[in-house]
Amino acid sequence: MGEIWEGFKQAVSLIVHLDPYVMRVTIFTLYVCGLATVIGMFIGIPLGSWLAFARFPGRRALIVLVNAGMALPPVVVGLFVYIFLRRNGPLGFLRWLYTPKAVILAEVVLATPLIAGIVLSALQDADPRLRWQALSLGASRPRMYATLLAENRATLLAAVIAGFGGVISEVGAAMMVGGNLMLSGRPYTRTLTTATVQATGQGEPVTAIALGIILLSITLILIAAMTAVQQKGRSPGGFMAAVYRKSRSARG
Amino acid sequence: MGEILSIEGLRCEHGGDIVLEVSSLGVEEGEVLAVIGPNGSGKSTLLRVIDLLERPARGDINYWDGFRLSKLGRRGRLELARQMAMVFQEPTLFRRSVWANVAYGLRARGIRGGERERRVREALGLLGIEGLARRYAPSLSGGEAQKVALARALAVRPRLLLLDEPFASLDHPTRQVMRGEIAGLLRRLGTTCIYVTHDHLEALEMADRLAVLIGGGVHQVGTPVEVFSRPASREVADFVGAENLLEAVVGRSIKGVAEVKVGGVVLEIAGEHPEGSRLLLMIHPEEVTLFREKAAAAGSSARNLLPGSVEDITLMGALYRVRLDCGFPLTSYVTRGSGEAMELHKGLRLFCSFKASAVHVIPRTR
Repeated sequence: MGEIWEGFKQAVSLIVHLDPYVMRVTIFTLYVCGLATVIGMFIGIPLGSWLAFARFPGRRALIVLVNAGMALPPVVVGLFVYIFLRRNGPLGFLRWLYTPKAVILAEVVLATPLIAGIVLSALQDADPRLRWQALSLGASRPRMYATLLAENRATLLAAVIAGFGGVISEVGAAMMVGGNLMLSGRPYTRTLTTATVQATGQGEPVTAIALGIILLSITLILIAAMTAVQQKGRSPGGFMAAVYRKSRSARG
Repeated sequence: MGEILSIEGLRCEHGGDIVLEVSSLGVEEGEVLAVIGPNGSGKSTLLRVIDLLERPARGDINYWDGFRLSKLGRRGRLELARQMAMVFQEPTLFRRSVWANVAYGLRARGIRGGERERRVREALGLLGIEGLARRYAPSLSGGEAQKVALARALAVRPRLLLLDEPFASLDHPTRQVMRGEIAGLLRRLGTTCIYVTHDHLEALEMADRLAVLIGGGVHQVGTPVEVFSRPASREVADFVGAENLLEAVVGRSIKGVAEVKVGGVVLEIAGEHPEGSRLLLMIHPEEVTLFREKAAAAGSSARNLLPGSVEDITLMGALYRVRLDCGFPLTSYVTRGSGEAMELHKGLRLFCSFKASAVHVIPRTR
């Protein structure tokens, strides 16, 4: 028990003193996961919007695929991306395997269905009158989607946070296609999760605990942000305010 | 003023059920056409189909400028949709400022800068809600929100305005005031408008013409006076709250006057009908006159003079609604003054009369 406590104290000290190795891995991870989430938004939001209302054969199958994608085991994603990127693979010519690009690609594959799936269900659950109202006022289809998403901004934010949370916490895919590499003393494909795995394996529990604390903090901050967004307007005060508004509107 | 819209053989289905079947219906330029009917009669579906929000199972709509529903491409759809605007029963405002809500349709049309600002200001002015411009839409009261929804629709200067029970979610006094204001505004602007409501009194105030939609079909189209005084079917008569609907059997017809039997009582009505046929009659309560003495009715030219007794009296504002038994139940409206002069009371025996022409024959089948 004392050993764990000692390790914990030293880990906090690493973080407080901005240990260069820990900091670099953290910054690299935020960069990779942030970029993957942004790319995932650019693909997932239009994809989810399109799937929500478009009519074409095979739409249901695509929706099943997106929903399945929301629960994809990262190791399987890693495996597929690996198969595509390896030297004889269809994308082998890119020479991306064991580069940051490969890690970003794998994380995009993980984040996109998460974002698309949440956007899809948010739009399908949106009040149909809102859609009619936008179209009736002369909105084009893309503008109508944008309006519905703007009306559901909390859900949209939740989708993005879920995407980011999904990629920052996974280890399998990043390990398989990135290889947990350092280059000239800087993380090349090493993320918080892969570094934690390695530190633990190499008998450096202090570093592992420090990395774990950082990862946990990031996740906690994300969950707190998500909860805040989700609960906005649902606090008891918000509820009473809503009742008051209702009674006021009834009186005109 | 020609028709700017005509519907041909339209049919809509929801999950296999036919919810709307309109063989023909036209809208004149500049008129307010009220579509009235009970809930679930297909009124809102009709509006959504016209507004291109829902596709009919079959049929066609001819719009202005050669637009035709069946011939619309993607582009044509958008272009046509941008010449219409719809206001729903619930205001359905976007969670933005009032200004941004009213500007929405203009933004969608690529109208920007000074022109957009001018048009938003103008629309807010039409509804008298310039003061709300900076408010956050969800914080508005029901009446305010519905005014914003109307301003938002008018800002795009629609060729055709579609109003789907726009006041139904408002409380009674607010509704009364809004109704008057909007009726005046529509007349002043001369905007062609289809106005859906289940409230026939609201339709009377707003509309130039009425279309009565019952069970998905158009039962009657006409001016408010036509619809209320000569309902085209039993359903229409029931919906507009007609009293004195009587089943009758035709006897002899001579020189444009027919004798009919209602219960055991013989009445004379205008028109000739085949002997033995069955008719559904409607007698307007305001055309039934009451007399205490038979002699007092002598000077009247009314064909029908019947003895009866008062069953029940209800005060309705300036009128008394008097239920009589004349061998069949008959309702009469008399002014409060004459009611008091006659000292009406339950059980009073008196005479009632009405002209042969006051009896409207409702076609039994349509």
